Amino acid sequence: MIPIQAYPETNSNFRSSRRCISLLLGLTIILGFGFQIDAEDLVALKPKLPAAMFVGTPKDAPAGTSVGPASDKGKPPLMIPKDVKNIAPGKKITTNDTNSSPSVLVKLTDGDKEANDNAVVLLRKGTRWVQFDLGSTHEVFALVIWHAHDTPKVYHDVVVQTADDAEFTKNVHTLFNNDQDNSSGLGVGTDREYFETNEGKTIDAKGGKIRYIRLYSKGNTDSSLNEYTEVEIYGRPQK
Amino acid sequence: MSRALTLGLLVALATALALRCPQLGIRPAHNDEAVNAIKFQGLWEHGSYKYDPNEHHGPSLLYFTEAWGKLTGVPNFQHFDDARFRVVTVIFGLGLILLLPLVADGLGRNATICAAIFTAISPAMVFYSRYYIHEMLLVFFTFLALVAGWRYTRSHKIGWALLAGAAIGLMQATKETFVLTLAAISAAFVLNHIWMRRIEASDAPTKFKLNFTHLLAALAVWLVVAFILFSSFFTNASGPLDAVRTYLPWLHRAGGASPHIHPWNFYLSRLAWFHPDKGPVFSEALILLLAIIGLVVAFTRRGLVGVNANLVRFLAFYTLILTAIYSLLSYKTPWCLLSFWHGTILLAAVGAAALLQWVRPRTMKVAVGILLLTGAAQLAFQAWQAGIVYSADRRNPYVYAQTSPDILNLVAKLDTLARAHPQKYQMLVKVMSPESNYWPLPWYLRQFNNVGWWPEVPTDPFAPVMIVSTQFQAGFDEKKTHLMVGMFELRPQTFFELYVELDLWRDYLRAIKPNPSQP
Repeated sequence: MIPIQAYPETNSNFRSSRRCISLLLGLTIILGFGFQIDAEDLVALKPKLPAAMFVGTPKDAPAGTSVGPASDKGKPPLMIPKDVKNIAPGKKITTNDTNSSPSVLVKLTDGDKEANDNAVVLLRKGTRWVQFDLGSTHEVFALVIWHAHDTPKVYHDVVVQTADDAEFTKNVHTLFNNDQDNSSGLGVGTDREYFETNEGKTIDAKGGKIRYIRLYSKGNTDSSLNEYTEVEIYGRPQK
Repeated sequence: MSRALTLGLLVALATALALRCPQLGIRPAHNDEAVNAIKFQGLWEHGSYKYDPNEHHGPSLLYFTEAWGKLTGVPNFQHFDDARFRVVTVIFGLGLILLLPLVADGLGRNATICAAIFTAISPAMVFYSRYYIHEMLLVFFTFLALVAGWRYTRSHKIGWALLAGAAIGLMQATKETFVLTLAAISAAFVLNHIWMRRIEASDAPTKFKLNFTHLLAALAVWLVVAFILFSSFFTNASGPLDAVRTYLPWLHRAGGASPHIHPWNFYLSRLAWFHPDKGPVFSEALILLLAIIGLVVAFTRRGLVGVNANLVRFLAFYTLILTAIYSLLSYKTPWCLLSFWHGTILLAAVGAAALLQWVRPRTMKVAVGILLLTGAAQLAFQAWQAGIVYSADRRNPYVYAQTSPDILNLVAKLDTLARAHPQKYQMLVKVMSPESNYWPLPWYLRQFNNVGWWPEVPTDPFAPVMIVSTQFQAGFDEKKTHLMVGMFELRPQTFFELYVELDLWRDYLRAIKPNPSQP
């Protein structure tokens, strides 16, 4: 007689084998099915994109009108201490454009922010800077920069840095940098480009202790030249 | 041809080549040039072209470009660029000089040489010879029709009549405004006839007998040429009918429903004196003044030595009428001035030749000659300025809704992004701009195979790269998945923001070489 226990054992082996076979079969089906899908049924989702519409000659827009709201529109105004004033007038201004003389650079702080030729200082193409020497360390809370705003344009590689020395080797800080691909070599910027408007661009200096300020740019969407109409620096002598 | 005429034409041709050929690709493609280029792509790659009666003018430009491409053995569309397309219009611009010997017996030797030189150096002629639009072809075919007509009146050979018919067919297949030219030619013909009979009491017209067989044959050739081209070589049955239907939308535009409405003096002020702020003076006043002298000559017959008075008077009527038509139509784009400006140049040439004939004594003649040469040199300098230095500058009188050179910076950035992207030029790019105001980007992004174009912000706007009109104020960088890496000017007052996926931008920064030059 075959012991009863043997059967369950055999039966158990059988069932175990059956489970293994089922598992293998299942896996084979799943994998096979999966491979089959990978090989034949799955395709990259490629939605049909709308084609370009043919259009006629566009309007020839006259120069000098606006393209829309300024980039800073809607932002709350920058809050600064009550006793802070524009300290830029009379400060020493230099540039890396050898064509520009100090007598011309004075126009940057003469208070004339109008969009006319007389108010604008032209700097040659390439990455150009103008530098302000505040004479002594000041607490600076804000800078407002007007490039040329006679026509809608966007300046490239606008970078604002501060330092403790005129050569910009000591304690260099970046207040603003929209050179996102580092084409001016001052580091990768994270700020946005913006439209030039009559409102200028306000940059928060956060009350930093500052002696030297450099403003960089590298041409604009309209030309490769660099232009400045006015710069205001809001600060007070260090307490 | 006399030796002097041959030499004069050769000098004019050499000057024309020197002003038209250098740096043909320097100016970014205008919206209209890009549309023509992409339409040509369909013809080149798939043999498909269908005349659109609402926009984009006739088929001749594309078919002649195809012929030029095949003649020069262009292997595929990727070999076409801005410069190669513009060679086509340069050839037709040079053709205006090459046709001149055929009217030398009517204009006279000196006027023919002057006409060749003025055509070669006129800033308007130079600028639009370097412009891949239909205008230069229209002017060429018009002159071909006039030249063939003139030769027919001299020889009565049917071949010239047939050529004139073919030229008119090509005019029609080039641009719808050919009807204005045809109206001016017809009116000038009638007025000249009346002038001869009534004012001069000449019997000259009676010498010319109209041969109706020749006239019918010319008409037939005109219709056949137009039919072949408008039907896209017998593949588009509605094309020839559309060539007639087209005048409804164009009449609508001419009546004022267009963004191109300008005052009557729009053309003449650009030609006579154009001096915007911070720009140089552009003026073709020399040609205008000489053309006025030419008009005096035409109607008084003073100074007409070796010149056919009837031809010159016909040119005077034709130019005056065509100038009046174009000035009175409120729809104006600056390239349209070429049609009447070519007539003005021919009249100016007659005026210059007459001036040299009138002036006495010999020393004064030399002085006037030097003065004219100085003026011509100044015109040539302006032509260089217009064609090269100020080719995309709005201070140039012939620049109109021009693409900004800044757009090439965007294209260069997109190229580098594609190289940094794992899918290269298969990278998905989404372009969004109101009223499909993104041309000529479809031409400059032709190597990108996965670009979608939207006139609005779509439901799912996100993609590795998005080019978005600033008018949408999209702010796609607010979620920090993308960066707005720059703003680019497509045209004056038309700006785009470039959004790039954060990881792709990191790859891009790794791909570009660090700038070795520290400021």
